[in-house]
Amino acid sequence: MADSRPLAHGLGGPADLPISSELAIAGAVAALVVSFTVLALAWRTPRYDSTTSGRPAPAGLARLVDSSAYAVSLRVVGMLVFGWFVLAAVFGRDLLTNPVFGMFYVWWWVGLVPVSVLFGPVWKAISPVRTINAVFARVSGSDPDRGLFDYPARLGHWPAAAGLFAFVWIELVYPHMSELGPVRLWCAAYLAVMLLGGALFGSVFYEKADPFEVYSSLCAKLSIWGRRDGVLVVRSPLANLDTVAPLPGLVAVVGVLFGSTAYDSFRDSLLWIRFTQESSTSTFLLNNLALLLFCAGVAVILAIGSAATGVGRGTRRRELPALFAHSVVPIIVGYIAAHYVSYLVEVGWDTLILASDPLSTGSDWLGTGDLDRLSWLSFHPTALAWIKVVAVVVGHVVAVVAAHDRAVRVLPKQHQVTGQLPMLAAMIAFTVGGLYLLFAA
Amino acid sequence: MRRVALLATVLTTLLSLAGCGSDEPKEGAKPTPDSARIELTFEGEEAPATERVQVERGEEIEIVIKSDDAGELHVHAESEEVLEYAAGTTTLKLTLDQPGVVDVERHEPEALVLQLEVS
Repeated sequence: MADSRPLAHGLGGPADLPISSELAIAGAVAALVVSFTVLALAWRTPRYDSTTSGRPAPAGLARLVDSSAYAVSLRVVGMLVFGWFVLAAVFGRDLLTNPVFGMFYVWWWVGLVPVSVLFGPVWKAISPVRTINAVFARVSGSDPDRGLFDYPARLGHWPAAAGLFAFVWIELVYPHMSELGPVRLWCAAYLAVMLLGGALFGSVFYEKADPFEVYSSLCAKLSIWGRRDGVLVVRSPLANLDTVAPLPGLVAVVGVLFGSTAYDSFRDSLLWIRFTQESSTSTFLLNNLALLLFCAGVAVILAIGSAATGVGRGTRRRELPALFAHSVVPIIVGYIAAHYVSYLVEVGWDTLILASDPLSTGSDWLGTGDLDRLSWLSFHPTALAWIKVVAVVVGHVVAVVAAHDRAVRVLPKQHQVTGQLPMLAAMIAFTVGGLYLLFAA
Repeated sequence: MRRVALLATVLTTLLSLAGCGSDEPKEGAKPTPDSARIELTFEGEEAPATERVQVERGEEIEIVIKSDDAGELHVHAESEEVLEYAAGTTTLKLTLDQPGVVDVERHEPEALVLQLEVS
């Protein structure tokens, strides 16, 4: 049976070396120590209150960010990059040197994360679909914020979870992920669904159902930027994280984001490679099942970890997973940083070089065609390994603190300490699992 | 009391992270003589189980292929290299300069045959 394992990323050369066992164990120990310290010694009343947290940002900065000139310039930047992407996708050649692949898999998927953590909800500000929707609305004389229907509350973030899964599917499982046709088709479908949704439900559709906006806005909750009553405020990332709305489908989003990154690590392990080679079942089917299992597994572990506790009056057990999903976000960001940092920096930079020649004609339109490639991280594997472990451990620490604060807000007094133990176990499982994958793959 | 506990936590965390350190070779990988020699046998569509071999940066790697048919090996290093082999026994030579895990794939039929861990 032909092996349909997607061949080696297509993008970027060698994969990162595994981290050493000592570093993995040290990271796991650190995570454990911090977790139990927080549990034993931390506060008993909730510290973060979304209605009062945050200091207003400096007046000059707030004026700039709130100005329409700023908003319009960001939209223009988004449209320019989008236009360049369309140019390369429609008129470029089906070669690995087409910048479309780097823009799609590296700049968009991975790049959104650090940019959102640093600057806030970036995709909301630059999204071409929001811009196109707004332009269509202006041209037809309607309000871009309102559509034909109200967005059904029960749908929540489920469409975003589906969209994110569709992305990780083409990135990790589909054997033709580095061919131009499939990438083009994926983007066309994305555009169509987003524009249709915007017309039907107004721009609130993007806030709830655009996979990239949900992803970017979730990561932005780890930034220091927030809004309270329309005013730009500066607040600690933990206070910001507390403002994540527990919508339906949030647990699925978190499951897909963490599960897919874990699966990405896992599929490069010798164990999985040998298993799929020796099995008589099609590799494509096995990869699909594994991706699904990882994503669903994360969601199930989160659900059990948060719900396996006593509840008091006023909180239903079924609501708990969504109430605790926000605390997994730092673990996701830490693990994404560990897994993709060298990919983002080195392949991302390569994409900037390739972007200068979108039609693969040998031209140099952006002037970046002759830049030297970056390879510091690849040539310093020990430093890279340290960066990975520190990122995962820091993500874990922030997550445990966030979960603790939510627990003392939501759980009845007698269950506040014991009720956290399953959630703590779930987080330790995520972190130790993540460290193991960095070691074994 | 709380401050002491926090300090203890930070110190324990830092110490446990610092307690590891040297680049020791991983167990389970093949020993590396001065130049690595890897043998692969392709019988028709069958390929051997994928192996992961540790190699050094800049070391000359010899891949000895015994195959019924001619074919190509694609080496996914920082620039993809294509090494062709003929039917019978062919010795291919390769040097890898960038650390990382390099996939070596056979095409027709596609299969991952080797992973080279370059350190």
